[in-house]
Amino acid sequence: MKNNIKVQRAIANLTQEELAKLVSVSRQTINAMEANKYVPSTVLSLKIARVFQKPVEEIFFLQEED
Amino acid sequence: MYQKILLPSYFKKIGWWILIPTTLVGIILFITGVENAPSWMNLHVFAFFNEELLGETRLFTVIQTNITATVVSIFFIIGGYFVGFSKEKNEDEYIAQTRLYALLWAVKVNYILLIISLLFIYGLSFLYVMLYNMFTVLVLFIFRFNFMLFINAKSITGEK
Repeated sequence: MKNNIKVQRAIANLTQEELAKLVSVSRQTINAMEANKYVPSTVLSLKIARVFQKPVEEIFFLQEED
Repeated sequence: MYQKILLPSYFKKIGWWILIPTTLVGIILFITGVENAPSWMNLHVFAFFNEELLGETRLFTVIQTNITATVVSIFFIIGGYFVGFSKEKNEDEYIAQTRLYALLWAVKVNYILLIISLLFIYGLSFLYVMLYNMFTVLVLFIFRFNFMLFINAKSITGEK
């Protein structure tokens, strides 16, 4: 799974730290997701989508191998 | 996500305070030999099972023995458990996954080491393998988990 959290963050003008606080995870988690090292849980995906006020599908995308 | 099976985060600090001294005592005990353990630790204890070398086997009986190794081992395990299975201060789902992966890695490496030991260590020396193997899963897990946390923390420095 891929995501465009970094882009969405830039649009919303949020730092990793600020986004981390808004969805109550550590900054490492946001960083790992942006580096595609970590696939978030459904709960966290929905929370992130809520922060950016966009549907989940506009932030997270399936890849060929998924 | 809420982790019910983990201890509160302050247990980690308590764990280190138990683990480090018991590790040092354990190393000293190993170097000096269990037979040189302090005699005031010779106590009467209840045993389910006691088999003396060249002696009889007794069940459910009170025996006299030196309990230094027993005490050190138990405190080592409790300390290790506190360190490895407490919540991190910033516990979240990524850390929970890191912990599970570290545990998986530790069990795997432990058994690889055991297979190597089984293949290449024979006779009485194998007793040492069994002795170490009581603690290696816990030690490998604590090492791996904290190493991965360190790597994760390091990977974000400098980026906004």
